[in-house]
Amino acid sequence: MSTAVSAPAESRYPPGDLAIWIFILAELSVFAVFFAAYAFTRMNQVALFNEYQLTLDRGAALINTLALITSSYFVVRAVAAIRGGEGRSCAGWLGLAILMGGVFLGVKGYEYAHHFGQGITLSTNTFYMFYLSLTFFHFMHVILGLVILTAVAFKARQGGYDAQDHIGVETGASYWHMVDLVWLILFPLVYVMR
Amino acid sequence: MNQTSTWPRPCTRVYLVLIALTFATYIVGELGLSGLTAALLVLAGALFKGHLVGDFFMGLHGLRGPWRWVILIWLLLIGGLITTAFTLASPSTT
Repeated sequence: MSTAVSAPAESRYPPGDLAIWIFILAELSVFAVFFAAYAFTRMNQVALFNEYQLTLDRGAALINTLALITSSYFVVRAVAAIRGGEGRSCAGWLGLAILMGGVFLGVKGYEYAHHFGQGITLSTNTFYMFYLSLTFFHFMHVILGLVILTAVAFKARQGGYDAQDHIGVETGASYWHMVDLVWLILFPLVYVMR
Repeated sequence: MNQTSTWPRPCTRVYLVLIALTFATYIVGELGLSGLTAALLVLAGALFKGHLVGDFFMGLHGLRGPWRWVILIWLLLIGGLITTAFTLASPSTT
């Protein structure tokens, strides 16, 4: 188990069910439109975007980025474990990944509570409209990803996967990595780039 | 489990690079660096992180055929769009 991160050699298809990859492409397309809309809308309101970007909690965003990357890493280890036929180890790694996902939800929830406590809504200004809608759309994907990972972890713990039959683990993992991937762009775009 | 693998594992090395780049991005934000150059450097770092996730976490590295490139194409697409928008918004281009 030296690589733990690559698809089987000579494969033409990515790990997991091909249907999830069609879904992933659809999701990525939607996020691409969101990102482009944010960037091109900002063109005409640079001062406003720069001013209100400073009101965001960059420390919270850092914690959330670290949490999602760490969670994704744990999922990679879970896939490696099940490829080695270690179902309980796989479930353990997934449990840690779910924990990190929970950290993300908690920190993001704290951020939302802070903003809503200040009376900030989608209507406050264009920056907050994008910030709230983009991050909440992603937030919902994190919740869905956690539901998927939890279901996969339970099945792995019960011996439902083995070294030969573990497409469910790879499918859930692919979706979770997509959630991580989107945040890796969202974090610098909304919180840092000015 | 075969324990003959090198340490750290490739996925662990990728993870450490992702963490380091994340801190670098955060520091740029904390220093208040602004302007087109800083923004595009941060964006380049983010796109590279995305490429690492696609290749090594999602398992596209080593694939044959079009699926090998889907994440990279997505990254280049959004990278191009964001670069265009930020360049056009830069004071030096207006």
